[in-house]
Amino acid sequence: MGGLATAVVALALTLTPGASPGSTNTVTAVSPGSRPGLVVFRTALLTAAPFWLFLLLLHDLPTTIAIGLRVTTMVASFVWVVGALPPPRLVEAMVAAGWSASVAYVFAATLAAAPVLRARARRIADAQRCRGLSARGGLAHRLRALWALALPLILSSLHEVDERALALETRRLVPGARRTSLSPPPDRGAERLARWGLVAACAAALGWRLR
Amino acid sequence: MTAALRLDGVSFSYGVVQVLADVSLVLAPGERVALLGRNGAGKSTLVRLVTGLARPAAGTVWVGDWDTRDHSPDVLARRVGSVFQHADQQLFARTLEDDVAFGPRALGFERSDVAGRVARALDALELGAQAREHPYDLPPALRKLAALAGALALEPALLVLDEPTAGLDRALRARVTRALLERAGRAGAGGGGAALLVITHDLTFAAELLDRALVLDRGRLACDESLAGLLGAAARLETLGLLRPPVAELSTALDLPGRPIRAADAARVLARVAGGRADP
Amino acid sequence: MTRLILERVTFRYPATEAPALEDVSLEVKGGEVVALVGSVGAGASTLLLVAGDLAPRVVGGRLEGRVSFDGDGPRAIVLPTPWTQLSGMAFTVWDEVAFGPANLGLPRDEISRQVDQAVVRLDLEALTSRDPTTLSGGELQRVIVAGILAMRPALLLLDEPTAELDPVGARTLWKLVRTLAGEGTAIVVATSELDALPAITDRVVWLERGRVAATGPAALLASDALVVANMGTTVAAVWRAAGLPAPYPLTVAHAAQRWERR
Ligand SMILES: Nc1ncnc2c1ncn2[C@@H]1O[C@H](COP(=O)(O)OP(=O)(O)OP(=O)(O)O)[C@@H](O)[C@H]1O
Ligand SMILES: [Mg+2]
Repeated sequence: MGGLATAVVALALTLTPGASPGSTNTVTAVSPGSRPGLVVFRTALLTAAPFWLFLLLLHDLPTTIAIGLRVTTMVASFVWVVGALPPPRLVEAMVAAGWSASVAYVFAATLAAAPVLRARARRIADAQRCRGLSARGGLAHRLRALWALALPLILSSLHEVDERALALETRRLVPGARRTSLSPPPDRGAERLARWGLVAACAAALGWRLR
Repeated sequence: MTAALRLDGVSFSYGVVQVLADVSLVLAPGERVALLGRNGAGKSTLVRLVTGLARPAAGTVWVGDWDTRDHSPDVLARRVGSVFQHADQQLFARTLEDDVAFGPRALGFERSDVAGRVARALDALELGAQAREHPYDLPPALRKLAALAGALALEPALLVLDEPTAGLDRALRARVTRALLERAGRAGAGGGGAALLVITHDLTFAAELLDRALVLDRGRLACDESLAGLLGAAARLETLGLLRPPVAELSTALDLPGRPIRAADAARVLARVAGGRADP
Repeated sequence: MTRLILERVTFRYPATEAPALEDVSLEVKGGEVVALVGSVGAGASTLLLVAGDLAPRVVGGRLEGRVSFDGDGPRAIVLPTPWTQLSGMAFTVWDEVAFGPANLGLPRDEISRQVDQAVVRLDLEALTSRDPTTLSGGELQRVIVAGILAMRPALLLLDEPTAELDPVGARTLWKLVRTLAGEGTAIVVATSELDALPAITDRVVWLERGRVAATGPAALLASDALVVANMGTTVAAVWRAAGLPAPYPLTVAHAAQRWERR
């Protein structure tokens, strides 16, 4: 029963649209980082689907539902965080909360890594196709194309790290920098209350479990 | 004879923003054409359309007698060699040599044929000394040359090059000019050499290599004429975001006969005119 | 008073024996524009990294000699590869330009002022709310330069800053370099656009294989040595190729004068 409730809460959260980007002087720009709730919701469900299959193979139906809902909740809330939380907003929020800019950047860069890698992979694949590499054909063929993509993807990422480090350094993303928060996301009293409430609920649940 | 490239009323948009509007043009085999225009005019977008990476929203792009909608980029690569604006993203292998061989291998040429193509491409750009170096270890300017070598090795009927000389010094630009003149002039299997469509902001380089100028202005083709003619029209150039390069400016300022736009031509005319009169 | 001093600097990249810079001395004061010319690999980019305190501190490697910098502002460098310089932490061009000044911890209204000014100076007004990852090459390069200018550097280091700009945009940038020098910024620029230099530079430093081969006023770009090495202005090169005697004219205007007086 508890599992079902948390799942419902998580899925409802997943459906709410991501934070709006509103920066100091741009009012209506649609953020490229945040996606509509529905898309995130679908992604979350799809990510969780394989777990259900394996659970069903290993357990009977009631256990499958009990564990499956929990897994779905976990996966959905994680996907929701990644999908709906635009990294730049996270930096803003963390900086506003007193974290150092470089620590915030490391967090946000981790969140942003997947889409950045995907964009890079697409660019490399495009360039390879323009030089005659076909991605169609049998399995062996596709595997070879994948391998041809993987190596340059890693090498070029590593190579770019050096140049990016120089760029970030010159723009003073350095340990200990006290960054000015440009447009700190609003942190309403109710939200703060809800956060403490959740922490309390976690503590209570833990206590109840270990009882 | 079929054109090397033909665009018929091509339009393209990113979302709701139209970046190319009703562009039509034809390149004959062996023709050497500059694609000019200010930043954001739509030049690189046009490259994506020609290579088949993007499809026109309206109109047709013909590469030879192939409609780009019917062929994927890897098939089009038999006819189009391309260098992107940010060539770094075009290098894959662990040595320059391997990288240049990537295209010919992917297209399935015989081993000896691949070797020949690689050697010719590296020779043309005088990159032999760097053949075994890692492409990423080269300075940015040489990485650009490396990407160009990769396109040359396809030995295509059409080369589409997006700013091949950005950040190159004059000696390297001259190397690129020589290599491309040779490719465009060479009699290949199809009779003519490769047609060149070269995007550049470097009008000095353009004047050395190219004959004809296409200018894009906010997604529309604003002019299609001889490069020498365009470079003579200073006022019109500036409305298109362009400026007259030094040689053309010098020809006008000294009133050199024939208004040469290439450095060597200007020097020859200058010598003749100066020799005919008193020594300046 | 802004002042950068390099004294007999020799620099080697990690795991290399041959120095990328050898025995280089250079002094740049606020208000000066110094141009580094040389062929690819001659050391201009390395010199900028050393001047910007990135080599050896971030790049690694070994430095001999002395580098000192004084100034009431940071030193900042525009690298030659714009696509690796986006912060990755901004939705809009405006926020991207504000990234540097925000990291400096400037007050918010000061940041606003600097960003707005940099945006106007680089002609980016129409792009402020665009996603920086979808810009064209030249648009991106201008955003990167704006992001550096908004930090109000006392020492501005530019590596091929006009490589992807259209000719009118390049001319605007070169004029801006002069304006910034007028405001007291010290500027070192490495460029292959030699014909732009006579109008903007106080001093030309010619690098060859990591060494300073010659230093002098812009007229150096019309000297026989540089013209022979392919490092002169186009006009000087044409003059020499025509077999006309030295001294060669530096610019079209000089050539026209010379031609009149003939
Ligand atoms: N993915 C995208 N989404 C939205 N707009 C885009 C996208 N890619 C490019 N644009 C815009 O389309 C226009 C044309 O871009 P393109 O890259 O073709 O210009 P360009 O002529 O190559 O310019 P440059 O000389 O600066 O390289 C530009 O204004 C650019 O900002
Ligand atoms: Mg472009």
